[in-house]
Order: sequence, then C-alpha cells, then structure tokens
Amino acid sequence: MRSPNFIPSFSLKVALTQLKYLLQETLRGLRRGGWMNWAAISTVTVLLFLFGISLQTSWQVNGLLNKMGSQLEISVYLKPNLSGDTLKDKFGQLPNVASVQVIPRDDAWKKLLSDLDATDLQGATDALGQNPLVDALKVQSLSVEKVPRLAQVLTSFPEVDHVSYLNEVMQNLLHLNRGITQMGWFVIGLLTLTALAVINTTIRLIVVTRHQEIEVMQLVGATKTWIYLPFLLQGVALGLLGGGIAIGFIAAARQFMHQMLIAQPTFLKSLAQGLQLSPLQAILLPLTLMVFGSFIGLTGSFLAVRRFIVR
Amino acid sequence: MNQILLPQSAIESPHHSHLEGVGSSVSAALSYAIHLRGVTKTYQETGFNLRNVNFVVKQGDFLFITGPSGSGKSTLMKLVYGAERPDFGEVRVGGQNVANLSGNRLSMLRRRLGVVFQDYKLIPRWTIAENVAFVLRSQGVPQDEIQRRLAPTLKLVGLQNKADCFPTQLSGGEQQRASIARAIVGSPRLLLADEPTGNLDQDNSLQVLSILKKLNSLGITVVVTTHDLHLIRMGKAPVAKLQDGQLKMVAPTETERMETEQ
Repeated sequence: MRSPNFIPSFSLKVALTQLKYLLQETLRGLRRGGWMNWAAISTVTVLLFLFGISLQTSWQVNGLLNKMGSQLEISVYLKPNLSGDTLKDKFGQLPNVASVQVIPRDDAWKKLLSDLDATDLQGATDALGQNPLVDALKVQSLSVEKVPRLAQVLTSFPEVDHVSYLNEVMQNLLHLNRGITQMGWFVIGLLTLTALAVINTTIRLIVVTRHQEIEVMQLVGATKTWIYLPFLLQGVALGLLGGGIAIGFIAAARQFMHQMLIAQPTFLKSLAQGLQLSPLQAILLPLTLMVFGSFIGLTGSFLAVRRFIVR
Repeated sequence: MNQILLPQSAIESPHHSHLEGVGSSVSAALSYAIHLRGVTKTYQETGFNLRNVNFVVKQGDFLFITGPSGSGKSTLMKLVYGAERPDFGEVRVGGQNVANLSGNRLSMLRRRLGVVFQDYKLIPRWTIAENVAFVLRSQGVPQDEIQRRLAPTLKLVGLQNKADCFPTQLSGGEQQRASIARAIVGSPRLLLADEPTGNLDQDNSLQVLSILKKLNSLGITVVVTTHDLHLIRMGKAPVAKLQDGQLKMVAPTETERMETEQ
C-alpha cells in the first residue's frame, strides 16, 4: 500500500483543485436548493433594490442641493430701479458677512434667458417691454448657523424687496429626505431580517438534503471548513445574484426616470441633470449593493450551519 | 479490570490482540493500532454499557469482535473512529487519544482509518467511481491522483467493470465491496468493518471476508464486528466477545461451541 494518508502540500495545483471542488460543491448545493433559491434571491433583490434606491435618492438630493448653490449664500433682491452697487459696501460691513457680490439685472436677465434656451435676447426683452428683473446681491455668510439671522437683518433694509437663501429650500428637501430615509431604513431593517431568515432556511434545507454526503464526508476525514465552506459560498452566491438583479432594476428605473424628465420642459430637464450620479457614485452604488448582498448571504448561511461548525 | 482470555493461536501468531499491560513499553504502545484503557460508556436510556474495558489490537492484526445484538459492538467501533466519546478511560488509535481529538485533528485521524458499514452508506445519486473518489475529493486530493488510485482500488474489490454503475444497479455484495473500496482508497492503516456482512448471503459474505483478509495480508489492521459465527469460523482469526459490558478473547473451541449452539 502507498503512504497511509495523502498530505496536501501547498502548490498551485492543489489550490486550483480545491477551488474547483469548492465551486463545484457550491453549484451542486444551489441546484439542490431548487425553488427555495428563487425565494432567497427575490427577497434579497427586493431588499437591495429598496436599499439601493434609498441610497441613490440620498446622494441625488445632496447632489441637487450642491447644484443649487452654496448653503452659505443669501440672495438679496432690491426694489425696482435701485442699483446694487450702492448697497455693496453697506452690506459688506454687516457682522457675519464674508463677501458681497452684485448681480446686475442685465446679467441676471441674460443668464435666465440662457437657462431657458432663449437665444434672442433683444426679442425676449422687446416682447416683455423691458427687462423685468431687479438688481440682486449675493451675500456670503461666515457660517450656516448665522444665515437666518443675517437674512433677517438684510430684509430690514428699506431698499430690499425680499431675500431668499438655500436653507429654506434645503430644510424642506432635507425634511423630505429624512422622512423617506427613516421609513426606508425601517423597511430595509425588516427586509434584512426576512432575507436572513429565507437564506437561513434555504441553506438549512440544502444541508438536510445533503446529510448523507455530509455524514460520509465526516467519516472519511473531511474537515469542517471543507464540508461547510460550500454552504457559506452558496449563501454568498444567493446574495450576489440578488444584488446583481437589484442593480439591473435600479439602473432600469434610473434610465426610465431620466427618459421621462429629459422629455419635459427645460427646468425639469435641468433637474434630470441634477439627478445624475457622479462617476464615483456610479461605481460605489453597485459595489455597495454587492457587498451588502454578500454580507446578507454569508450571515444567513452562517446562521444555518453555525451549530454544525461549532459543535 | 476485565479478564481477557487469550487463545493459544493468537499467542503463536505474529499478529495478535491481547491483554494490555504485561511488559508494555513505549515502543509497544506505538505499535498498537487500537488501545482501549479503562473504557466505560453508559447509555441510561437503553441500559447498555461498556464497563472498564481494556484491550489492544496490534498493527497488522485481523480481529473479529462478536456479541449479541445490542451488546455494544457498533458503539465500540464508534469510540474508535471518534463518533462517540467514552465516559471514562482512553481510546488510543495509532498512539493518539481519540477522546481528546476534535475538529481538524479528529478529521486527520479519520483519514488514517477506513470504515465499512452494514448499510454501505453509498450515495445513491453517484456512480461507484464517484462514491469511491468522493473520499479523496473530500480531502482535497488532486484529480490526477484520484484517477491514479481509483482503478487499482476498484480492481482490488473486483468492481473494475462497475465503476460507472449506480449503487442501485449493484447487488448487496457488490455494494458492500464498493463500500470497502471507498474505505481503503485513502490507504488507511486500520480498517473497521461494522457488521459488513449483516445484509449479505453466505456467498457474498465470504467474498467480502476474502477481500478483508487480502487487505490484512497487505499490512492493514482489520477489525470486524459480526454475529455471523460461520464467517468467524471461515475467517480463521482471533475472536473477542463483547457481552455484559465486557470484552474478552474467545478460544477457538469456544467459537465452535457457540456456532453449534447457534
């Protein structure tokens, strides 16, 4: 007889054999899971879809706010026919003011027409009789906290018609975002538990259907890692598949939204641009979903085989 | 301590199982394939127990363990391959105390053993070749090494032409031979066969016995539990009897008397 036992030495060949075995066992197990696999994958898909949408919305809202301007900026609109230059120094001396920039009504009018894709400046002005805008000043506050108080001070000037600052818009958007996020987290929390339970049950069923093989493996000296690692990989595979499908759905939903907004008037069209993810976010979103999906799959399957591993 | 009766034939044989103790030394201890020292195992539910069993099986021995149903033959085997732990005492296999082993260390010990079961424990969905190769696959052996070992192992048990058959396509005797092939494909030094002929007719039983004897002649220590006294007589090997929690060597005359009674 040959040597009493095969002692695997570390070599590329052995490593590849082991990797091949683990992948084959993972696939074999998944085939054994049957329809339970789809229950697990669809639960993970729904979970990750909602998680992805929630994350994406949060990023988009932030992106939109950044696009809309600085959080420190207050726009001061003067009464008609007053020049912004006369007030520039006065505003610059107020406490908590970092800088003041005058936006002459003619410049503002040009920019508006440009935003509205109107190229015939003179034609538009003639149609309205005159430039309907007023001079404005962009006042930068030293800190976000001082913005509301500074806005109040600026309003008290008789030359000022009204002021607006991003905090108002932002507060509303942030409230909306926070509400959606909180509800999202609650639903995601519930779905995470459901996904863990479904993956746990799926893997447990696969373990039960393979109990004969597991028993024989134990008797012939297979290590616990060798026996149970494929089950953990099956969990990860379920998570990754669910993640992949969710990424597809999110991309399709984003594309659908984009197509809808792009066909709308100019303002909504510019909103569509604001909703675009940055290149980094476009990579980070699927990556986060895949990692989260793997984590859910791994945890669910670990819970299923934990009692076998630790005993 | 149990009184173990040692048959004369066993004393004369170069390979023999015997009472632990007299003149033992470290080198002798290491040459023991199995060494039970003060082993006690009790099952409250069934009332079955092993009481302070002391016993050794030397390297290269062939030993039958017999005894009535429920006497604890299978439990004794389980203690040896680590599926059960003794309440007291030591079960040493190749010098290692099995009771102290768990996890990967127990797995490594099991790679040095082959176990054959009465119910074969073959996976019905797999061919005979797959069932046998499974042992090596489970241990991470590369595919070419598996292929290299598979053919001679199947040939040894006379199943070289049945490699691609499924267990259900084989007779009971063939299935048991496949189970033996699976037990020896990892080249173990010790082979435990728990009632290997329990489900077989006499012809198949003798075939299985012949294979086990052949393996023993190749240097593998073989321990067979059985209540088939005809098999024991044909085996012409030392016999130990497990009864009332005691394991005792049986003289050949005693074996003949038991067979007559049966």
